[in-house]
Amino acid sequence: MNRRRSIRAALAPAVVGIGALLCGAGGVRAAPVTVQVTAGGGAPAVDAVVVFEPRDRVPPPAHADAIIDQIHKRFVPHVTVIRTGTSVTFPNSDRIRHQVYSFSPAKVFSMKLYAGSPKRAVVFDKPGLVVLGCNIHDTMLAFVLVVNTPYFAKIPASGTASFDLPPGRYSMRVWDEALAAPVPARPVVVAAAPLQLSIALDLAGTHDPVAAWP
Amino acid sequence: MLLRTRIAVTFFLLVAAVLATALAVVSAANRHNAEREVGRQLDVGARVFMRAMETNREQLTQAAQAVAADYAFKEAVALRDTDTLASALQNAGSRLGAAVEVLTTLHGRVLAASGINIKPGMTFPLARLLRARGVQEGNSTIMVADGRIYQLVAVQVRSPLPVAWVVMGFALDTKAARELAAPTALALTMSVRSGSVWTTPITTVPDGGARRGELVTRSITLVKRPRLEVVATLSRSLTAALAPFERLTRVLYLIAGASLVGSAFAAFWLARNITRPLRQLTDAVDHIRGGAYDVPVSIHRRDELGVLAEGLQVMQRAVSTRDQAIRRLAYDDPLTGLMNRTAFVEALTAALGAASAGPVAVALINLHRFKRINEHLGFAVGDAVLVKIAARLTAPPAAGAAVARLNADQFALFAHLPPGADATAWGLALQSRLAEPAVVHAQPLDVHATIGLATAPADAAVAEDLMRCADLALEFARREKRAFAAYLPTLTPSARDQLSLLGELRRALDADELRLYFQPKWEISSRRIAAAEVLLRWQHPARGLLGPGVFLPFAEQTGFIRQITRWTLDRAAAQGAAWQKAGVALPLAINVTVDDLADTGFHLSVARALEHHGLDPALLTLEVTESGFIDDPKQALRMLQALAALGVKLSIDDFGTGYSSLSHLAHLPVDEVKIDQSFVRQFEADPEVAAVVRSAIDMGHRLGLRVVAEGIETESAAALLGGMHCDLGQGFLIAKPMPLAQFESWLRGRDRVAALAVPAARADVAGASGSRRRRAIKVFPA
Repeated sequence: MNRRRSIRAALAPAVVGIGALLCGAGGVRAAPVTVQVTAGGGAPAVDAVVVFEPRDRVPPPAHADAIIDQIHKRFVPHVTVIRTGTSVTFPNSDRIRHQVYSFSPAKVFSMKLYAGSPKRAVVFDKPGLVVLGCNIHDTMLAFVLVVNTPYFAKIPASGTASFDLPPGRYSMRVWDEALAAPVPARPVVVAAAPLQLSIALDLAGTHDPVAAWP
Repeated sequence: MLLRTRIAVTFFLLVAAVLATALAVVSAANRHNAEREVGRQLDVGARVFMRAMETNREQLTQAAQAVAADYAFKEAVALRDTDTLASALQNAGSRLGAAVEVLTTLHGRVLAASGINIKPGMTFPLARLLRARGVQEGNSTIMVADGRIYQLVAVQVRSPLPVAWVVMGFALDTKAARELAAPTALALTMSVRSGSVWTTPITTVPDGGARRGELVTRSITLVKRPRLEVVATLSRSLTAALAPFERLTRVLYLIAGASLVGSAFAAFWLARNITRPLRQLTDAVDHIRGGAYDVPVSIHRRDELGVLAEGLQVMQRAVSTRDQAIRRLAYDDPLTGLMNRTAFVEALTAALGAASAGPVAVALINLHRFKRINEHLGFAVGDAVLVKIAARLTAPPAAGAAVARLNADQFALFAHLPPGADATAWGLALQSRLAEPAVVHAQPLDVHATIGLATAPADAAVAEDLMRCADLALEFARREKRAFAAYLPTLTPSARDQLSLLGELRRALDADELRLYFQPKWEISSRRIAAAEVLLRWQHPARGLLGPGVFLPFAEQTGFIRQITRWTLDRAAAQGAAWQKAGVALPLAINVTVDDLADTGFHLSVARALEHHGLDPALLTLEVTESGFIDDPKQALRMLQALAALGVKLSIDDFGTGYSSLSHLAHLPVDEVKIDQSFVRQFEADPEVAAVVRSAIDMGHRLGLRVVAEGIETESAAALLGGMHCDLGQGFLIAKPMPLAQFESWLRGRDRVAALAVPAARADVAGASGSRRRRAIKVFPA
């Protein structure tokens, strides 16, 4: 297996401005950052996840809710990114029953066989990648990426995600379920000036989504 | 080689060749079938084997999937609960008898294991394959570990992403191999190559059960990797596969053997069936070749041989018919239609051979004077007479009788006589049948027959002998001048006697045993001695003095008479010459036979004798019997003329009894006739005979011949003859024949006629006796 771990990051010239320092100084204007993620051949890596983790501060926890529906024996959405502590509801839109489970270390749970709306939501209280499955339907698969930062986005069909990041130093992490290995975190310094980043993913190896998010 | 053997052997070889070919074809077909059957079995076995492997795979897959899909198991995997995992795997594996149950990470690190000596944390032997996705989920592969072979199936555990491999497998050990091979009756061998070394850990081929060369194999490669190769080999013993065919072949060989034996018998029988009638036909042909046409060809068949036999019979009849026709030509007398001698002898032989043969009488019939009829009345009349005689002899026809004409004037007849019948009576009856004159062209012709009779089995048993007996009887009758004579044993000089008689006669001549006897002849008118006839006696050393009747007929038959005649001529001439020199000129007469006249040099012999002894030819008289003229009158005449030219006198002996015709007599150069003694003896009593004698004397005189009467026994006869002017007389009245000395003494003192004067009397018949008397020149001294 030719597993190249090199990640070719075509970075625009990184501009570290004074603005960024100002932002970091507290509550000032954020700078627009766009990240373009492509797969092999330049095609947009749809559903790839881009996460900016601040390196010099810890974002405060936040309680939010999310919904992962089950339609036609599929989890919708397939990939979900949430902040740690988010409670996720798993409604069942199918007429058949499902039994959602996870053996991922970030969140091990198993719901009883149910139809319609579940009695309670599941709180994802640890960061990490959670792989969801249905005990009855082996083909049902969903990913829940639990992160400790509010700065994250899924790549839409356009291939480019946009962020408004306060100036500061960040680690940019990228994940895709088709990756074979983790993409090294990239340090990004955000100043007042807009930042345009792009990254090309090598999705040719054996898919190992778990390994791709250590 | 015999036809029979040839047919049988050919048939047998043909059958043997056919059987051998059939057996060879069957054997080849059997082997081919066996090989094909084994190939088919191996094909089936291979399919069954693959199917069994597939079933294994399915079972393993299902078991592994069942484990992998179990939520609790997935939970245990997630929790890395090693002991639980191991027990769960063992539980699943034991249900289907799996030998190996292993759980590994996706990278091949062992998480839990059961049934194999692998501990958690170790790297599974197939880790590389698993990592490289070399093993597809649910596919089976082969693993060799610790010298054992495993069929493995790997199934991923998903929760829901793949997180581990459940590997489950069966051990391919000997027991499993047997189970795999069981449904096909094939042997299974598993060969393993590790690196480049081949081993055969498993085989179900019985030890030494089949040699390698007899195995037919089919190999299935189960796995082939650079370091490992496992081959399953199915095999079948060809010998075992051939076994049922060989049983069949053995039966076929038995049948072939039986057929061969059977065909040998059949061939022999068939050949014999063909050759036996052929042999019969050959025998029949042999019979026909031998002249037996009445042997039936007893073959009754519907096939070609039957047709051949029928054809042969038809041919046999045709040949027989033709043979009879030829026989008729060869055996019949064309004139009378009677048998000829050959046929008669055959018929007589057959009659004598007949089982019921009673006495068989054979008569030989000779016709007197038949030659005269031919000569004077023509052959047409003669033939007519013969036909009439033949008709008389054959009528009435009698069974078991046959009539033949043997030659010109001789017939033969035989007949079965009733038992006890008198052969002589039969012969006399026959004679009386022939006594009547034969009437030809309204002219009665006297035919005098002489009959000789012989009877079987009294006289002889064989045809030829019987004929000879009859012939002897006939001869006897003729000699005795009788019309009929039956055979008597005394008539037959036995062959030994005859041979010895001939020898003795020769010796008698050499040893001078023959004696001259002299019988004087009178001049009847003067009772003086005029001449003498020389007769012969045989002074036999053992049998005493023998008369001429004992040996002369035999000498005539054998031709020896010529020597006797010459001897007699010589001695008589010598004696006559001696007397002539002594002044006693006595004419001597000797008898000359037919044989002598037929001898063309006879007159030379006479001339030599006369010259040698110096005898006056006029003193020698040769007496010829009438029969001497019969066979060859011309030669006889020539000889008589030659003799007459010598100057010797010629006399016709036995005048009146033979065939001599008066016309012939007139032309013969004879000087004298002798009236036969049979007339002389009878003429006193029978006036007719007396008339004949008188006529004969007169006729003789008229021809200028001297007439001599024989057999004068009484004075009265002598007187009577004298009255008839008979010239000379001879007989017991005068003297019996006497030997020389007695004759000479008898002669002494008696008057003699001057013998030499006789020829002169020819011209003067009337005064003959007187002139003869006058011309007598000498008389024996008293």
